[in-house]
Amino acid sequence: MSFLAQSVRQVLRQTTQRLTTTATRALSLSPALLQQNKLAPSGIDISAIAKEHQKECQAICDKINQQIGKSEQGRLFAVVHLCGKQFKVTPGDIILVEGYWPPTTGDEISLDKVMLAGARDFTLIGRPILEAGQVTVKATIIEKTLQHTKTHFKKKRRKQYMRINFQRSPNTMIRINSIEVNRPLNSSAEAETQPSKRLF
Amino acid sequence: MVHLNIPLLVRARGPDEFWRKRRIFKLAAHYRSRTRNVYSFAIRSVHRALAYATKGRKLKKLDMAQLWTTRVEAGCQQYGVALDTFKEGLARSDILLNKKMLSDLAIWEPRSFEALVKISRERAAVEGLPDIKQRSAFNQVYGLRNLKLD
Repeated sequence: MSFLAQSVRQVLRQTTQRLTTTATRALSLSPALLQQNKLAPSGIDISAIAKEHQKECQAICDKINQQIGKSEQGRLFAVVHLCGKQFKVTPGDIILVEGYWPPTTGDEISLDKVMLAGARDFTLIGRPILEAGQVTVKATIIEKTLQHTKTHFKKKRRKQYMRINFQRSPNTMIRINSIEVNRPLNSSAEAETQPSKRLF
Repeated sequence: MVHLNIPLLVRARGPDEFWRKRRIFKLAAHYRSRTRNVYSFAIRSVHRALAYATKGRKLKKLDMAQLWTTRVEAGCQQYGVALDTFKEGLARSDILLNKKMLSDLAIWEPRSFEALVKISRERAAVEGLPDIKQRSAFNQVYGLRNLKLD
């Protein structure tokens, strides 16, 4: 009997261990059948790999920092989120915001929701946006006008139905003045900073 | 114009025949043959054109969305990743770039796009999405420590 109990206990222990290892699998959203394919890194020392990775990340960060320090990065581009749309911009670009948008002509603004910034040799990818203050995109509003007239015309044949409406919505032109990387990247400091309390 | 009741108001044809027709002829000025010169033909084609223009504004948006999808798909295929896996991998890594941006990146910033594909592929491998056959190719992407390895 004692032998049986032992074996049962062993089985139980194994199941608990498996449960812990597959915790992430259970959390993910896809159904269990799809997850059979998971390629678990069995027999690999994960901590060693993690350390290696950290070193590698640090090396890449240092390289980028060096390049930024010498300002050799060249012309930057950025993907900014503005008024529900995403724009890929580079200094000197003019982008068009359609619809009502409060800022007036001559305002200088900084576009804070930078989703991605890149140069010749590196790309910073935000999840979903880069840290506040990491990359600044400065812009000026240069023109506020109305669209060309859009004719909204509907007609049904033989039904005496015809409607015509005219519509002009406001347009705003924005010129991108500069895109700059402010802080040096630091992979260790990045992890410590708390999520900002800004409301966009 | 005197409108005694509503049916008469509907039938009243407007201020003056000349100006009423001139509006239509101005829109039809670039048409060919008699649709340009004959009012009964002109108004038919102008109405049709305006209706098409109204519908076309919506269709244009749909067409562009389709085009972006095609471009992103082609971009993924370069690296042997399916579109669904790519998008799923990106979404699970909290990268919320839209189709337009992804297609733009695929065209104009191929190396950034390659990085995105690698990240999403890595995420897909780690999370065990069905499409990925190979083991994750560690240490190719910056920031892998952010991925959850169990």
